[in-house]
Amino acid sequence: MTAEANPLPEATPVRQSQKEATRRRVIAAARELFDAHGYEGTTIREIARHAGVAVGSVFTTFASKGEILSEVMAARLELLYAEVDRVMPHVRGSTVDRLRTMFAIHFEFEARHVRLFLAHIAAAFDHTLSGAARPYGRNEHFQQVIRDILQAGIRAGEVRPDIDMQEAVDLMMAAYAWTYRIVVTTEADAKALIAVMDRQLGLIVAGLAPER
Amino acid sequence: MKHISPNQVAADAPARPPTRRALAKQQTRQKVLAAARRLFSEQGYEGATIRDIAAAAGMSTGAVFANFTDKSDLFREIMVDDMEALVTSMREAAERGRNVEDALLKVFMAGYTFYKTRLQLARAAFSVSWDRDGGPSLRGLPSSLAFQELFTEQLASAVTRGELSQEAEVKLRSQMLMDTYLSNFPQAIFEGWSLDALQARARDQIRILLAGARRG
Repeated sequence: MTAEANPLPEATPVRQSQKEATRRRVIAAARELFDAHGYEGTTIREIARHAGVAVGSVFTTFASKGEILSEVMAARLELLYAEVDRVMPHVRGSTVDRLRTMFAIHFEFEARHVRLFLAHIAAAFDHTLSGAARPYGRNEHFQQVIRDILQAGIRAGEVRPDIDMQEAVDLMMAAYAWTYRIVVTTEADAKALIAVMDRQLGLIVAGLAPER
Repeated sequence: MKHISPNQVAADAPARPPTRRALAKQQTRQKVLAAARRLFSEQGYEGATIRDIAAAAGMSTGAVFANFTDKSDLFREIMVDDMEALVTSMREAAERGRNVEDALLKVFMAGYTFYKTRLQLARAAFSVSWDRDGGPSLRGLPSSLAFQELFTEQLASAVTRGELSQEAEVKLRSQMLMDTYLSNFPQAIFEGWSLDALQARARDQIRILLAGARRG
């Protein structure tokens, strides 16, 4: 997403499109390898071989393995959010039900590539990565969807108007991320994760409701 | 009190009282652990190699491997030491709580205070715990289970005292409290949040997570 900020002057158009092609091939190859072998289990060398490009050109395109992972996740999420944006305006029901639906869509999407998602979280704590390569938890789009649902909840009188919005969002994001831990310990499927998240959302939203 | 699984007992129990050799081995272990703690703190889990750790401890890699099966074994040992110390201080903190909310806040803060000077180690622990192979081994440790138990006990006794309703869903709530406690670490690690900022946030979070149980 921030790739355009690169101030390197005038690559020729041909060169630029070659570079773009390399980028796309590397991301596609990395996505498959991370998914199959995890983040730690995949080397840049293997990614280069799988993508059919030279190791050197991977390094001229990406600063680190972490940056490749960030880009892999960003590319996948574009698809997800196109879907979320299409669906959410039509989702009815109470605040908690709308939140449940939204998170369920996420679990359904990520459950097909759980290793990748776990790698994403693990990488968030990898000290060798620069700040730019730590995307997890900073997903602005995801957070905005939650905020919109909560705002609608406030208008409907289901959520206290004086809640700290960011805090409420973070609480749900934490519950969401930690729910994946079940996958690490057991072999839970999306359905099991959604059931756990439903209960957690019920509890959080009860805590955000106006005092009676 | 250390919980020891039957397997460990079989492997660890010495047939005779410790010999001079066993004591020397114990000292070697301590030296390796101290060096490993320093390197994990400075370079993270992935950044520290057994070779570096051996060099820092002033011994051969062979001597390290004679005492620890691998790097994750070494790391686990350090985590266990820390977690046991931390659970003890959390328990003491909880006893000073005026009510369930205050007790939980004190538990959270005991943790943040403990790790305030060990943030790089905390970061390494998170990195390992999200790993598909490292995660289960770290989370299944008796000392990590003791954390969870601590939250459960606090809620259960609040139910007994009538502070929380009978339908408080103690298991789910204590799980969420623990998750929330852990989820604030990135703010401390990456954004340099002060203990005051963490406390303000934790107070709100605990209030939200308990609210439904109060109205019951």
